[in-house]
Amino acid sequence: MEEGAPDLPPHDGRKIIHVDMDAFYASVEQRDNPYLRGRPVAVGGQQRGVVAAASYEARKFGVRSAMASVTALRQCPELVFVKPRFEVYKGVSRQIREIFSRYTPLIEPLSLDEAYLDVTENLKGMALATEIAREIRAAILTETGLTASAGVSYNKFLAKIASDFNKPNGQTVIPPEKALAFIAALPVKKFYGVGPATAARMARFGIETGGDLKDQSLEFLTRTFGKSGAWYHDLVRGIDHRAVRPDRERKSVGSETTFFEDLTVEGQIEAQVRAIAHDVWGRCQRGQTTGRTITLKVKYADFVQITRSQTLPAPAACGEDLERASLALLQGVFPLEKAIRLLGVTVSSLGAAQPGLAEAPAQFALDL
Amino acid sequence: MKLTIERAALLKALGHVQSVVERRNTVPILSNVLLSAEREYVGFSATDLDMEIVDETPANVEGTGQITAPAHTLYEIVRKLPEGADVALTYTGEDPRLTVQAGRSRFNLPVLPAGDFPIMSSDGLGSRITIGAAELIRLIDKTRFAISTEETRYYLNGLYLHVVVEDGEPRLRAVATDGHRLALAEMPAPEGSAGSPGVIIPRKTIQEVRRLLDDAGETIEMQVSPQKVKFQFGLAALTSKVIDGSFPDYVRVIPKDNQKVLRVDNALFAAAVDRVATISAEKSRSVKMAVESGKMVLTVRNMEAGQGVEELEIDYDGEPFEIGFNARYLLDVAGQIHGSEAEFRFADPASPTLVLDPDDSGVQYVLMPLRV
Repeated sequence: MEEGAPDLPPHDGRKIIHVDMDAFYASVEQRDNPYLRGRPVAVGGQQRGVVAAASYEARKFGVRSAMASVTALRQCPELVFVKPRFEVYKGVSRQIREIFSRYTPLIEPLSLDEAYLDVTENLKGMALATEIAREIRAAILTETGLTASAGVSYNKFLAKIASDFNKPNGQTVIPPEKALAFIAALPVKKFYGVGPATAARMARFGIETGGDLKDQSLEFLTRTFGKSGAWYHDLVRGIDHRAVRPDRERKSVGSETTFFEDLTVEGQIEAQVRAIAHDVWGRCQRGQTTGRTITLKVKYADFVQITRSQTLPAPAACGEDLERASLALLQGVFPLEKAIRLLGVTVSSLGAAQPGLAEAPAQFALDL
Repeated sequence: MKLTIERAALLKALGHVQSVVERRNTVPILSNVLLSAEREYVGFSATDLDMEIVDETPANVEGTGQITAPAHTLYEIVRKLPEGADVALTYTGEDPRLTVQAGRSRFNLPVLPAGDFPIMSSDGLGSRITIGAAELIRLIDKTRFAISTEETRYYLNGLYLHVVVEDGEPRLRAVATDGHRLALAEMPAPEGSAGSPGVIIPRKTIQEVRRLLDDAGETIEMQVSPQKVKFQFGLAALTSKVIDGSFPDYVRVIPKDNQKVLRVDNALFAAAVDRVATISAEKSRSVKMAVESGKMVLTVRNMEAGQGVEELEIDYDGEPFEIGFNARYLLDVAGQIHGSEAEFRFADPASPTLVLDPDDSGVQYVLMPLRV
């Protein structure tokens, strides 16, 4: 590792590209349906759902992904809702991963539409990561008809920030010598790991930008933000040693449902939680995994959302374990104060994908 | 209301009823015990709306009347009074509180009107069935460990008490299951029980009935309706709702012709399972049972590659086989076998195993194996 000059962050000469498809689901829909082109489009359920993705036309009206559909429609009455076609998105996702794989095996997909690539040593022997990013984006456009944006830098944090900088259909390079100035001007909410709540806390301390954050001592940051404090302290100094991990494991398995009508009857809510837990267990089994932490998510009719979680002494061994834990968490929500619009169950602290899960001691049940 | 009662009698009566009272209540009066003073007796009632216990005990009543007071507080006060004390309970209305006085101790407790206290009706209960207390204790003790705590199948959260006729003989039978194991105990049907509806008696009720049986005489009386059950233990009576559901057809999961039959010394077996299971910290400790002619080998392995092995002499001369069980289930069953030997009847490693007590033909246990 090179020790940086005073205005140079310590860096190790890695070349990381973050590729992010532009308004992915919505763009796929516009590609496949000429009527949707040029119109504000939201992918998701109109009745009770949330916006899974919004086209750029829709974003102009303030429609954002994860926004409740009703809110989105209020923002943009012209909005056209399209049902998601995940099979199609998965197909496109496979296509773009195939394109990435022509350049490097070090691909870390974050979701269907974005991935980190480590091209420090690439299969084409190309020297310039910028050039690789340009080629990849061109290949994506010719082969899928969709645009992507890319960010290039020497670590993941900056590459991701960079891909967002010239969106859509653009790319940005942040070389080490420009990193510190770039970070200093960056609003804190753009920092990886800083959500709205943390951003609001930081604002209370007068911390609005990377520059403000850099003025804080490590001691203050860890005292105020706990473990993340040290992480922020590194980030503002341009330090992020996280490797691009092609084998990145799933962190959680979950499922949630937004109801057509809000639920108010406890028995009904229990039945739904049971069904969702059952579904999640099915996913665990298909993924040959299980976990110790069970999280119940409840979104009320007024969109206030709470989560309750419990960590079991041992990973859930059967669907009943999961069901029991979920229902126990649900009891903490009763007596019900507000109608419920969404319920979700997630299993995390996953056991390393257990190869022997199917062979693990399993209690047979009486055929009652 | 004004009465005097000996501390021991008061403590016993309050002890009988107070455990019904939930620690936390949204309805304040459910935290209270109803005191009813009539001539030479004082009655104590407590309820959680699903179950009600009423006890009566002789007292020196100077003024009749009824009032309710906090059950747990009253019980704790009486418990801490010196032995042999005479306790005066007074509620005059001048002081709107119940006065508890013994020697130099005096307490005033807040009250709620007796008229607001919920009373469970006894309507529709069937005729009285007399059962020996020891026999009812046996039915409960042999089966209640298998009652499910899993609330998703609420109809398994109780003991299924019902009358069956087998080989022309009516029997009163108790069955409990948690879906992985089943316990059954029966006795000759007491007179008058034929035709009684089968009822699923909730776990909490069973627990209270069992407690009251400790202080009961030789016989108790039971009345059953499809919605309720009532037990009369001398002066104490317990009325409870039953679980509104139908108990599954358990008969078909009891294996009838399992061929691999072995007998083992029950005490040695229980001790061996208990020892060998120590090696594993898991909740459902799985014991592998390897059976061959004359010998049973129990093996438990833990996650960290530790292992425990126990060998037992058995009465068996069939084919060798292996099967796995949850150690807890084996210990629960062994704990209820009265005779010196336990009899196991196996089919295969994925089918129900029957466990019998050669000294008691009225009990049967079914265990589902673990895959090992």
